[in-house]
Amino acid sequence: MKLKILSIFCSLLLGIVPLAIAQENADTASVDSTAVASPAPVSQLTAVDTDNDHGHSISLKWEPSPDDGAGLKSVIGYEVYRAESPGGPFVIRAALPSGASSHIDVGAKEKESGDYMADYTDYYYKVRAITADSLVYSDSDVFGPVQCYGQWFNTGRIPVLVFVIGFMCTTILLIQKAKSGAKLFVRRLAGIEAVDEAIGRATEMGKPILYVLGLGTAADIATIASYTILGRVAKKVAEYQTRLIVPCYDPITMTVAQETVKTAYADAGRPDDYNEDMVYFVTQSQFAYVAAVNGTMLRERPATNIYMGLFYAESLILAETGALAGSIQISGTDQIAQIPFFIVACDYTLIGEELYAASAYLGREPLLLGSLKAQDYAKAAFIVLAVIGFLTINFGIDWFKQLFYISN
Amino acid sequence: MANSKRISAIILIIVIATFLLSWIIKAFNLEGSPNNTGLWFSIRDAFFITIAAFLTLAIFSFLYKDNPYYKFAEHLFVGISAAYWMCVGFWSTLIGNLVPNISSSLSTFFRVPYKGLHFTYFVPLILGIILLMRLSSKRGWISRWALAWIVGTTSGLNLIRYLRTDFISQVSNTFIPLLVDWKGVGPFFSHFSLSSTGQFAMTLSNWVIFIGVFCGLIYFFFSKEHKGIFGTASRVGIWVLMITFGASFGYTVMGRVSLLVGRLTYLFRDWLGLIS
Amino acid sequence: MTNIGLIISFLVIGVGLLWLFILALKGREVDRRIIFIFIGLAVSVPLLFRISFSEKATPIVRDVFYKIENLPEGSNILLSYDYGPSMAPEVEPMSNAFLRHALAKNHKVFIMCLWATGQSLIATAIDSIIKREFPEKINGVDYINIGFKAGGQGVLNVIITDFRKMYLTDVDGVNLDSVPIFKGIKSLKDMDLLISIGGGFPGVKEWILFAGAPGNIPTAGGSAAVAAPLLYPYYPKQMVGLLGGIKGAAEYESELKKVYPQFANMPTPGIAMMGPQTLAHLVVMAFIVIGNIAFFVNRRRKP
Repeated sequence: MKLKILSIFCSLLLGIVPLAIAQENADTASVDSTAVASPAPVSQLTAVDTDNDHGHSISLKWEPSPDDGAGLKSVIGYEVYRAESPGGPFVIRAALPSGASSHIDVGAKEKESGDYMADYTDYYYKVRAITADSLVYSDSDVFGPVQCYGQWFNTGRIPVLVFVIGFMCTTILLIQKAKSGAKLFVRRLAGIEAVDEAIGRATEMGKPILYVLGLGTAADIATIASYTILGRVAKKVAEYQTRLIVPCYDPITMTVAQETVKTAYADAGRPDDYNEDMVYFVTQSQFAYVAAVNGTMLRERPATNIYMGLFYAESLILAETGALAGSIQISGTDQIAQIPFFIVACDYTLIGEELYAASAYLGREPLLLGSLKAQDYAKAAFIVLAVIGFLTINFGIDWFKQLFYISN
Repeated sequence: MANSKRISAIILIIVIATFLLSWIIKAFNLEGSPNNTGLWFSIRDAFFITIAAFLTLAIFSFLYKDNPYYKFAEHLFVGISAAYWMCVGFWSTLIGNLVPNISSSLSTFFRVPYKGLHFTYFVPLILGIILLMRLSSKRGWISRWALAWIVGTTSGLNLIRYLRTDFISQVSNTFIPLLVDWKGVGPFFSHFSLSSTGQFAMTLSNWVIFIGVFCGLIYFFFSKEHKGIFGTASRVGIWVLMITFGASFGYTVMGRVSLLVGRLTYLFRDWLGLIS
Repeated sequence: MTNIGLIISFLVIGVGLLWLFILALKGREVDRRIIFIFIGLAVSVPLLFRISFSEKATPIVRDVFYKIENLPEGSNILLSYDYGPSMAPEVEPMSNAFLRHALAKNHKVFIMCLWATGQSLIATAIDSIIKREFPEKINGVDYINIGFKAGGQGVLNVIITDFRKMYLTDVDGVNLDSVPIFKGIKSLKDMDLLISIGGGFPGVKEWILFAGAPGNIPTAGGSAAVAAPLLYPYYPKQMVGLLGGIKGAAEYESELKKVYPQFANMPTPGIAMMGPQTLAHLVVMAFIVIGNIAFFVNRRRKP
């Protein structure tokens, strides 16, 4: 009897335990069935050397995983891996969000940098599609070998090259033409003809002339153009023995201005009349400079104020104070923002490029004349190209606009 | 003469008395404020606020007429700015940019991080010394070489940038449609709107841009006398330019007024406490 | 208070302008100091009586706003403080608004300047905006101040390829390689948006010429009114958008308040300045009209 009970108990036990285990497995199996399934990998991975750069860069492209935004919708991003052999070891190079289908792997060019990426070295890439579960991902096929190297010529900037060569050739040709004695016409500029009048007025009144070169450095075009006009003014002033005041903002500009005035006095046959204190440095702070020049205007009461060069916010303050002091004012600047103030407060204004034309008009130097003519040709080219482009766009022709596209 | 001296002396006494009174009142106000940081700091901060206000008023006094207070403020500004820019030039350019690239001992002395020895940085150092040779009457001519280098390098760097951004890109920016989103006369009038992003405004804008660019360029053409059709186009160009300058002037008036507002806000809020 | 102020302003200024008009018609010269008094009143009265007007963002300002708004959270934004105290009343409201917006969107903010005078303004902005309104933001993780480097556009020429050739440390002397925010940042090309705030040289134009255009990096600007007209040709192809002067700042502030309720109580100096601006502009317009009428009347009167 006891044996019977024991055997029933054992068989029950033998039956229950497997059942329990099976149940457990079933539970586990049901847990397994909710785990994240591996997503489909990216496809068509390609890697090429990045174009138009100095090297150390490879561009990758791929088709995103079908499970990115569709299918299983489990892909949350991509990781780009690189190795120096097909079997690895691979190091992660970038982590990208979902939807990404390209990446540019840029490395450092210095060997001592931790991110060094050598040119002319084989690299192998793979892209991993990742999910919310860090253990669940899928890798693409390894692509490689691919090498990076620098290009000598940036093809994306061909339009710039064409214009630079065109403009340089035109400038050189026209300068040569000017040097050969050809008469190059420059139209009359009212502001420049007023300068001589204004100098005469100052001489009659026995008052000085104030010449302001602006806030530019000696390398700025407006300042360079101003030097030519200063030379012309200084020569006249030397002939008429009128006093000249030239307060300067930039120390280097001051040194060039001193040279210019000194040379002008020598050319006028009055080298002894030149006084170095005529051209002096004030300060390199914008509003402190204008405060000082304003003070000079109100104390010295010059008959003529000439503002030629690069001006910023102080232009109106200068011109207003000069008007208050009763001076005749002639100005010229290429700073478009300041031209309205000079127009309003000065008697004559050279607008923008007229300042450069004035220096060519006065100096009649072949270099300046040739350059001015080349600029005129460039403007003519702009007008012609603008008209052609305008017409092509309106007739639905796109290729002309593409000629002006600069990639980087 | 004696009368005007007496008046000047009285004005000076009034100014000094007002300054001291203002300083004391401000110091008490700051000490009693929720952000009180102690008596000494209140006195110090009150001094700076008061002196800034008085210098502002001194500069404003120029609007009445030139006077010694304006001259004082002007000379103070000139002196401090000259010294400030000298210090900035020394610490930012020489110590900030040059020293870390040429000498580790100097970098340690001036407490700037050493970037390693870069021989290329000796070139601007030598050019800078050459530029300073200008001070010598015998050797001054050599400074022109450094100047030529500066002018040449700047021109070279800028030529490509400006040509790309201000010429080529702007040429392609004028390739604009004559009629924006044109679907026919009917839809144009049925959907007519004066909104700035509407078809009419955009079309008008494109015409203005194109004609303005075209005629403006003709105005700046120096190789031909401005007569006949060319002269007419040039006159249209100068009209466009003047309208642009008028708009620019208006914009700048706004800028200047906002600077005035900023300064008056300082006087009313920080100095007088009339506004919060 | 605002209505009383408006009434007083219009009464005082209106009567004054009428008196000027009569004087001008009679051919009498008006002392320029009278003009200064009018401008002073036109600006002071709205300030004292807190007169202000609401603003609506124009497309050129909205484009900048929604560029920052639509960038994915954690994007890299570079702010360059290219101005000094003389321009601060005009551009500081916009720089503060940019900072608030970028930090509210949890973007990473890189702060620098090409003007030496910008350094103290950056320090003020960090103390008054970041540390006060965003105390949870960590220096070196959420924002960083790399300060000033002399060289103007030369600095941009260098950092467009490699930051570390110009900047080895931040303003506190911490090595950039040890700072989390700079991990993976090699050059300006790693920035998602460049914003230059200023109005002089170097400024927005230099950022477009030397960084934005060559590096194909989206660039936006906040400019003083005097320089703004120069920048319009770059919009929208070479520049994302532009805040022109205090009006641009006011428009941006109003858009920020509209989209972010947490900024409902933030100081809006740009909007506050619109009251004095409007009145001053009306006065200037009245002067122009009066002056022109007087000019033509007096010219006709002369034989």
